[in-house]
Amino acid sequence: MNKFYLLVSKKWHTALCISLTAVLLGGCWDNRELNEIGITSGTAYDWNNNKWTITYQVINPLSSSGTMGSGGESNTPPFLTFTTQGASIMDAISHSNMTSVRQLFFAHSRMTVFSENLARKGITDVMDLFLRKPDARETVNVFISRRMGRDILDQLMQTSKNQGAGIQLMMQQEANLSSYYPGIRMFELAVNLASESHCATIPEIKLTGNEIMDSTQEIEVTDLPSRLELGSLAVLKNDRLIGWLSVKEAFGLTFLTNQIHSASISIPSDPKKGEVKDSSFSLLHSKTKVKPKWENDHFVMDVNVRGGGTLLQLSGDVDLNKSGEIEQLEQNINKEVLAYIQESWSALQKLNADATGFATLVHRKYPRRWKQIKAAESWDKEFRAIELRPHVSMKIERFGLGSKSFKSIENE
Amino acid sequence: MSTSQPGRASQSNNSGPESVPSSRPLMDSLEDNLSEMLRRLGASADIVVRRLDTEAGLPMAVVYIDGLINTDIINQSILQPLTNMFLQNEGKEAKGSTAEQLRARLLPIGQIQECKTFESAFSMLFEGHTLILMDGNKAVLSMDTTGWETRSINEPTSQAVVRGPKEGFTENLRTGTSLLRRKIKSPDLRIEEYKIGERTQTNIAMVYLKGITDDQILEEVRRRLNAIQTDAILESNYIEEFIQDGKWTPFPTIQNSERPDAVAAGILEGQVALLIDGTPFALLTPATFFSFFQSSEDYYQRYDVASFLRMIRILSFFVSMMLPALYIAITTFHQEMVPTPLLVSLAAQREGVPFPALVEALVMELTFDVLREAGVRMPRAIGPAVSIVGALVLGQAAVQAGLVSAAMVIVVSFTAICNFVIPSQVISNALRLIRFVMMIVAGVLGLFGITSFLMFLMIHMAGLSSVGVPYLSPVAPMTPRYLKDVFIRAPQVLLKIRPKLAAKQEAYRQAQISKTNPSHDSSNKGGQSP
Repeated sequence: MNKFYLLVSKKWHTALCISLTAVLLGGCWDNRELNEIGITSGTAYDWNNNKWTITYQVINPLSSSGTMGSGGESNTPPFLTFTTQGASIMDAISHSNMTSVRQLFFAHSRMTVFSENLARKGITDVMDLFLRKPDARETVNVFISRRMGRDILDQLMQTSKNQGAGIQLMMQQEANLSSYYPGIRMFELAVNLASESHCATIPEIKLTGNEIMDSTQEIEVTDLPSRLELGSLAVLKNDRLIGWLSVKEAFGLTFLTNQIHSASISIPSDPKKGEVKDSSFSLLHSKTKVKPKWENDHFVMDVNVRGGGTLLQLSGDVDLNKSGEIEQLEQNINKEVLAYIQESWSALQKLNADATGFATLVHRKYPRRWKQIKAAESWDKEFRAIELRPHVSMKIERFGLGSKSFKSIENE
Repeated sequence: MSTSQPGRASQSNNSGPESVPSSRPLMDSLEDNLSEMLRRLGASADIVVRRLDTEAGLPMAVVYIDGLINTDIINQSILQPLTNMFLQNEGKEAKGSTAEQLRARLLPIGQIQECKTFESAFSMLFEGHTLILMDGNKAVLSMDTTGWETRSINEPTSQAVVRGPKEGFTENLRTGTSLLRRKIKSPDLRIEEYKIGERTQTNIAMVYLKGITDDQILEEVRRRLNAIQTDAILESNYIEEFIQDGKWTPFPTIQNSERPDAVAAGILEGQVALLIDGTPFALLTPATFFSFFQSSEDYYQRYDVASFLRMIRILSFFVSMMLPALYIAITTFHQEMVPTPLLVSLAAQREGVPFPALVEALVMELTFDVLREAGVRMPRAIGPAVSIVGALVLGQAAVQAGLVSAAMVIVVSFTAICNFVIPSQVISNALRLIRFVMMIVAGVLGLFGITSFLMFLMIHMAGLSSVGVPYLSPVAPMTPRYLKDVFIRAPQVLLKIRPKLAAKQEAYRQAQISKTNPSHDSSNKGGQSP
């Protein structure tokens, strides 16, 4: 009896010790209360005068606390920004603890901005930091700003209290609805830069005006003198910014890289009567297939773009019931898209940046030749020699109720 | 009429520490018997002794306890015949002993027994029987004159249903067994009676269906009942604690019910019911974890509705168990899991709350339990005041004062409401305990802690059993054919077999085919062979 009791109590002691140890070792070391963390919604990295400048945008929970009994909306800004400087990134980050009351919490960060200076210097350091830091999210959207990154973070947005999320949403909407260029996330950037072509594109975010709207009083107007806007597309090669694509050129690139969701294309209804783009076509689906071919001494890229959509707007004397009219319009659309692609291609060739990812395609199709190219480091040369053969075939699937434009009905 | 002898009563009080009287035979003399009885009973005011001393030389005494008997029966069926007998003086010419004569001819009463010892006489007396002591007789006659005040059959208060029988057990054991008899009119329904409790001598009825309940289970319940040695049984929980399996578990392994229909349903599935005199709550054993989520109303409404409601109950069980813990874990450890707008709003609410989330939750949960306890104990008239104080002062004002966050009030109240959804009180009370442990574990270890604790709970529950039936059956051990009545309530036509948990064999409770195609066969013959 006594022996049994001893045995049991020993067992219990062991169990107790183990569980206590488990609790004490695994316990609340990483416990952080909500009111001790600074929820960061965006960061900006600048490189100025051989110094890193990092700006954090921290959500200010007080501004959204309508129910806290303090009575209604307070006038505090929805987020606060603060900037730290340092000789290295970590130096700057550790300085942040000297200025912030709260422990910065990056899991909800939605966007990060690199300044043009930094992008020209090279973004490897920042990329490495993002990929290494446990609480940094690789899903943040990346942008490039021609101004200081912090200017972008200071700017208040209307209808979005969380500006970081607002910018991300703006990017997503753009990519979905007009597809001029897709947004890019940190991991996609890393993947693209590490791919065979070593090129990536990052959208630009810019202010429309020169003023920065950074006071809550200033956003109490309906039309801000300065807003955030997506600008052109930055092209990076080997982690360095080497040039910009205009929106039009970026649009062509989106076709080349098969990233179109839906877009609207303006076309002339009758090319004979001049180049006035008086009609528009809404592209609802599009697919691009690129086939590399080796011809004699250079690569040829067979680009096949197929798509379809709705005719949204029609001007001029067009009667869709007449045979050939729809085909004519489709031809116009094809021509338009072709022009985008060509424009984009020539811009890319001028930059000599393979943002289209053709290198990967070539690698896949001609692995042996790729080995040679890689050994000779001659892809740049090959890329310049590439001949693009784009074929576009767009289909008008629907054109609404009337077969004639309203203008032509009016004229009758 | 009544004689009280304070002098003798005081003697009995000083009769020593031995409280349990040993069995003692009755004596010859009426006076001796009577005085011994009165000595043992003391000077209790409710003991009535009616002496019938006559010239005929046949001294008798009628003894009963006022309040337990029906005065009409005593007056009309005992005292009247006896006094008449003396008037007519019939005793002389009759054959046989006086006792036999009384029994055979004079007393128009259904149950008459003879008691040879004081103890048996007392136990009869306390059950409301009337004793007749006769001079020169070593036995007393005991007549069933029971007729104490009982509560009428009311609607069950703790397990109300919208549709279904509105009758509930009362404190009277006999009423309880009669209610069951009325539901199950089968000769196989067996009622075994036990007397448990040295002092209270409480009657306990064990009700089961012979041929359906597993014999091993019956034997085990009998054994456990017989093993009880205690002073008093005042409520069914006394029995429950004595016969339940796991002593160190918050989970109940015995069901209780106030509803005869629920108990009858249990008996029909092979469970053993225990009715305890003096309490309207009957016990049902063996009980599995999932039987606590079955409400008798499930079977009184359409199966689709019932299934949905049952799933809601099971969901509420988990919500009630884990919601505060999840809130604590997520807001203090895993903020990345919350969508940003919600996180910002939570952070805004927690602005200025001086306590960590764990303390906040513990305080609110404790407050709620206090409120709930207060609400239960309150007299009806001031009951609503509690809820007003609880809702307004502790809810709204605590948030405005910045003591707790609004989200926490939502979490706590939703948890509480989910707790009320569970039809069984015992399991929702168990949940209240588990919830606190869960909250502390979540506050220390986060989601990791919640998961480990859940695993611990699962292991613990899988190890439990109720009178030999695994507690988690039919889920663990998994028996798919019995799952029709666990998470859902399948249509009656599909519930063909009795769950084998407690039943002897999985007998069919319906004809094999109880549904016939009306277009082919309008006379609806059940049991056609396929």
